[in-house]
Amino acid sequence: MREVVVTGIGSTPFGKLEGRRIESLAIEAANAALHRAGLDRKSVGAVYLGNFVAGPLSGQEVLAGIVADELGLENVPCTKVEGACASGGIAFRHAVLAVSSGLCDAALVVGVEKMTHATGGQVTQALNCAMDNRSDGPSGLTFPGLFGLAWRIHAAKYGTTRDEVSAVVIKNKANGLKNPLAQMGASLSLDVIRQSQMIADPLQLYDCCPVSDGAAALVVVAKDRARGAPDLPIDILAAVQTRGSARIAGHEDVVSFEATVKAAERAYAAASVGPKDIDFVELHDCFSMAEVIDSEDLGLVPRGEGAKWAAQGRTGMDGDIPINPSGGLLAKGHPVGATGVGQLYETVLQLRGQHSNQVKDAAIGMTHNLGGTGVACTVSILRRPDA
Amino acid sequence: MPETQAVTKKTNPLPIEALKCGHCGKLVPGPREICPACHEPALVPHMAAGSGALSSWTMIRRPPAAFREEKEYAVAIVTLDAGIKVTGRLETPDDRLEPGARVLAVGFHKGVPVFRAV
Repeated sequence: MREVVVTGIGSTPFGKLEGRRIESLAIEAANAALHRAGLDRKSVGAVYLGNFVAGPLSGQEVLAGIVADELGLENVPCTKVEGACASGGIAFRHAVLAVSSGLCDAALVVGVEKMTHATGGQVTQALNCAMDNRSDGPSGLTFPGLFGLAWRIHAAKYGTTRDEVSAVVIKNKANGLKNPLAQMGASLSLDVIRQSQMIADPLQLYDCCPVSDGAAALVVVAKDRARGAPDLPIDILAAVQTRGSARIAGHEDVVSFEATVKAAERAYAAASVGPKDIDFVELHDCFSMAEVIDSEDLGLVPRGEGAKWAAQGRTGMDGDIPINPSGGLLAKGHPVGATGVGQLYETVLQLRGQHSNQVKDAAIGMTHNLGGTGVACTVSILRRPDA
Repeated sequence: MPETQAVTKKTNPLPIEALKCGHCGKLVPGPREICPACHEPALVPHMAAGSGALSSWTMIRRPPAAFREEKEYAVAIVTLDAGIKVTGRLETPDDRLEPGARVLAVGFHKGVPVFRAV
C-alpha cells in the first residue's frame, strides 16, 4: 500500500444556508478543495461523496456524478456512499483505499447535506432511516431518545450528573465561538442548560446538535505525487471503518458502541500509535452524551469518566486531550453526510497550525464518525509530516 | 397482531412474540431472517414471558412525523427474564424508576409491547 496524504481542502460554513441547493454546496466545497490541491483535474481518478438524506429531503440522488460533471472531471467512477451519520468518514476511507492501493493517484472526497428547508418532523423521520426499522423504529424511538436511554444507564453505572454532562456542552459551544464555520457557538451557563426544554429525558435542548446544511471536501493524493501542492500535505496514518449492531438488542448496553471500540483499536494498530499519542480529537458528539461515550470508547478517557473529565477541564483546549476544538457537532453543526469530511477538514487545519482555535503543538489528530445506532463507524488518524 | 390493541389492566404479563431457532434452539428478539448463532433460516415464532427488568427509558417529546399525533410517549429497553432485549413503550414513566426495576408487559401499542413498572 502506498503512503497517502491530504492536500487541498474546502468547506462551506455549516448552518442554515437559505436559498442554496444541495448540489451548489457540494460543488462550492469541492471546487475550493481542487483549487487548493494544485493538481491537474485530469489526475483525479475517483470521487466519493458522502450523503445521507438527499433523496427524502431534496429529491436528488446521483450527486457524485452531478458534482464531478460541474467540476469538469474525467469520466471516472463517481460513487455516493451512505452510512447514516458516518457517510462522510466512509467516503474518505474509500478514497484512501483507492489511492493507497494504486487504483488512482488522486481521489476527491465530498460530504454534503441540506436539511434546514424541511420541517422538524420530516427531518426526524428521514434521520430515522438510520435505525433498523424492523426492531427499534416501531416503538417511536428517535436518536435523541437513544441517547436519553444511554444517559440513564451511564448515570446509574457511573454516577454521571447533569452538570458534568453540561461541561461537554459548555466546552463545545465555547469552542464553536472561535470557529468561523460553526453554526451555533455560544457562551452557556449550567443554569441555562439545566432550564432548557426537555427533548428526550434526561436529554435537554442544549444536549442536541442543530439541524444543519453544509458541505466539506478534500483531495487525497499519493504522497509521492503531492510534491507540488501549495499547502502542507498531511499524512494519513489510518482510515478505518467498522460495523456494529443496527439495533439496541444487539448491544451489550448503549453506553458503549463496539463499532467505535473496534475502529479505534484497528486505527491505533495501523498508525502504530496509542491513545496517549493523540494530541486532539474531532469526535461524533451528535449529543452531549454521545461525546461522553465516544471519548471512553476511543480509549482517550477512562471508562465511565467521560463527563467527569469534561467537568474537570481535562478535555478542554489546554486539557489532557482536547476534544472537539472545532466546536464539534454540538456547535459547528451536523449536516449529516458532510460531518465526517468536516471533521477531517478541521483536523488538517490543526495539523498545519492554521486553525482559528489552534491546539498548541498539534502533531497527531484523530477523527471519529459514528452512524445510526452504532451500525457504522470510521476512525482516522492524521499526522503533521514533520512530526 | 392487530394494528392497535387496547392496553389491558391485567397484572399477569402478556406474552411477547420472539423467535426461536428450530435448528439450534437459540432464542432471539425478532424480526430477523436467519439465526444469528447457526445462520440457518429456521427461526419460528416463540412466545416469551412478558416480564423482565427495565434497562432504561426516555420520554420522546419530539416524535418523528409518523408518531406526531401522540405528542409524547415513553420508550423503554427491557431485558426479558427469557434473556432477550426488547424495545417497547413504558406506561408508567417516573424519574424515580432506576435501571433494573421490574416491569411487566400489560398490552400492545401498534404491535409494540407496553410495559408497566410493578
